[in-house]
Amino acid sequence: MAKLWLMPFMMSNWRASAPQLAYYANAVRTPSAVVFTRNTSFFNKLPAEDIWRGVTAVSNAGKKRGRGKGTGKKVAKDLNRGQTIGLGKSNCIWPGLNAPIIRGNELTHQQKQSENLDREKSIISLRDSMSNFKLMKLNPIDRGWSGSKMPGRSIGPPDAVGEENFNLFDTRVLENKIVFIMKGNMGRKRRYSVLSVTGNKSGLAGFATAKAPEVRTALRKSKNRAGQKLISIDLYENRTVNHDFYTAFGKTKIFVFKKPEGHGLVCHRAIQTICKVIGIQDLYAKIEGSTNLQHIVKAFFIGLMRQKSYEDIANETKLHIVERQMAKNGFTEIKASPLQDLKISENDQIIDFMQFTLGNKIVLRKKKTPPYYVNTKGHYLFECKAEKFRNQSIVRLHKLVNSYT
Amino acid sequence: MLIVRHLRKLNAPQRLQLNVDQTRRALSDANLQYDKDPQPLFTDAETQRLLQSMTQLQLEKVFRKRTVADNSTETKFMTTAQLEKEFLLTIEKAKKLLQMPPVVQIKPDTERVISKDPALKDFDDSKYVFTDISFGLRPSERKVVVRDVDGTLSYAPLETQKRMNQLYFPLDGRKSYTPRMFSDKELLQRCLDEHKYEFVLDRLTVQYEPYETEFHNISAKVFTHLNESKQFDLLRSTRHFGPMAFFYAWHRCIDDLLYDMIRRDYLYNAVQLIALSYKIHKVPVEYGQTLSQLEALQPTPAERALEELRSCLQKPSEKGIEKEIHAAIGKTEQDFTADELSLKFIEQYIGSEHALKKVQLELAVQTLKELNLEKLQLFKGLKKAHGVQAS
Repeated sequence: MAKLWLMPFMMSNWRASAPQLAYYANAVRTPSAVVFTRNTSFFNKLPAEDIWRGVTAVSNAGKKRGRGKGTGKKVAKDLNRGQTIGLGKSNCIWPGLNAPIIRGNELTHQQKQSENLDREKSIISLRDSMSNFKLMKLNPIDRGWSGSKMPGRSIGPPDAVGEENFNLFDTRVLENKIVFIMKGNMGRKRRYSVLSVTGNKSGLAGFATAKAPEVRTALRKSKNRAGQKLISIDLYENRTVNHDFYTAFGKTKIFVFKKPEGHGLVCHRAIQTICKVIGIQDLYAKIEGSTNLQHIVKAFFIGLMRQKSYEDIANETKLHIVERQMAKNGFTEIKASPLQDLKISENDQIIDFMQFTLGNKIVLRKKKTPPYYVNTKGHYLFECKAEKFRNQSIVRLHKLVNSYT
Repeated sequence: MLIVRHLRKLNAPQRLQLNVDQTRRALSDANLQYDKDPQPLFTDAETQRLLQSMTQLQLEKVFRKRTVADNSTETKFMTTAQLEKEFLLTIEKAKKLLQMPPVVQIKPDTERVISKDPALKDFDDSKYVFTDISFGLRPSERKVVVRDVDGTLSYAPLETQKRMNQLYFPLDGRKSYTPRMFSDKELLQRCLDEHKYEFVLDRLTVQYEPYETEFHNISAKVFTHLNESKQFDLLRSTRHFGPMAFFYAWHRCIDDLLYDMIRRDYLYNAVQLIALSYKIHKVPVEYGQTLSQLEALQPTPAERALEELRSCLQKPSEKGIEKEIHAAIGKTEQDFTADELSLKFIEQYIGSEHALKKVQLELAVQTLKELNLEKLQLFKGLKKAHGVQAS
């Protein structure tokens, strides 16, 4: 049997209907009327592969214009799979085809057997499984920011240099993009640029960008380069930044705030990833201006490096630094004391700590515009109706918890 | 039938035994009620001073980290003068946090009829409750009256009054139903077995008024359980230590607490506990003199806490050698004198007929004496080595 490559929408009865067509052709040929048939056609002049490509592929010019990005995902089905000669719809014994002609001393005869109902189904399911385009299977834990894209994904620790190995490190990709440069003889040359950050989750981290013609090499290069550019970062209680700070790079401005235990990382995803790699667990960051990824990374690292210790701030301002904890009923704890006291009079105002650490910058708090329906009559009626149920969920929960049985 | 009768016979003595046990337990619980009004003795200035001193003021315990919704922190700049003021405020706050819930008599619920109007009989098939909800009244002042179905107008019983107060002016943390922890004996027992005494007592203080029967019963149960498990340190520096010590002193079972105090080297507190017990039971022993002598020698808990706070401000170079010796040994010369005085008083108590666990207490005192002697020798040796003049 010839191997045929057919389009998925052509059903399995194509081959079955071929002899039938021939039969009709014979019947039509009567002596009185001569019917001309053209036996050459588009279908039997070209091989199946060419036909398939002609239907699904995109021309070279089209490709340059960005057409047909999904080609190659659809693969032709091999309709011969799962079928053998002699075994068909009607389960028959054909001596010489699927059974020996002489069995022992007896001649075997053509014989019909009970119908195999599962056969058709199994063939169809086999064909269905062939057509489905399989996405790359990724463990949910290994996923990055979006789907199976590289940004946000871990690419393991940097490679060891001599005897120095980066056992406790983890590298995460922050950016993976195609960049072009013009070459004298090559013209527009394409390369992959990868920005990644590596860290040991306890205050040691580094970042680097690398370019290479292959994604894999670019990843490896940037990972290893990041391992060579490590920076030690001061952490507060091994979980957050020392103090609030303001930092900027280019048009990107970042306000970073120290947060209590259990707050989590509430910030841009790139800062989140960097924090995870450094070992920061609680932080709030607000970005103003441009969100260019490279600038965010650089601004955040500059800010981290410029942090001051409490002792330094105390000596600079000649004031004590105290921390009031709400979980400890407002108990004030001295964090640092200056070497010499500040002499001030009663009327002098001492500066605010946050104002000092943010360098007199203030975060832009945009007023949220209320939705269009707030002043409508319908919304007013809805609020009136909903008012009496405002506590219901809490009461229900309490009843559930304290139900008496 | 015969078998059944036989079985009953077998079970009868067991059942009897059970009944006896139950009555005994009930009796022991009933015994631990205040037989007369404890309020005048409890609110007495001297008693309060004794109880406060016994409670102590350990800052790290009073201001320990709790699980609250808001766990934010606030960082500030402060001058030294501002810090001094802040320390004083902290001590005031701690004192407020250590305020003891009052120990008072159970309030009897008497029916007070305002008027009987038979003409209003069967005006409805349920009672009507009228509550004065004007703003700013104290819960005890708020008038709640009930019109009964038979037309009688009377003041509401205490329970109704409390419920109405909770309905219109809800107290934070108080529930309008009895929490299962207090209604289900097993659950309460589980809390006690896990030594969650402070939690139980805190919730009890929120849920019930000090004059309610439940308050008395449950607190008695907690204190009895605590006396058996001997985990007194769990309540030290909390608002419940005072009422607990008062409870033991009233019911003549201070020995376990006393043993705990001696073992932890809180001799001054031990003397105070004995003095409190003498005071409550009017024992003719002169304790005032010893107490005043000790008071002169030792600072009050608040003063001690303030000193601890202020020591953070001192630079290491400013601290004298005497302070360093004090830090190393944990005692000053005054403390040694105070210890001698206290030990004398405690031994006198152990020798008297009031002490019940004499052997245990004597042993503890002996061990402490030996320890103290060693410390004193070390203290003297250190002083000599550093050339500090012995006074």
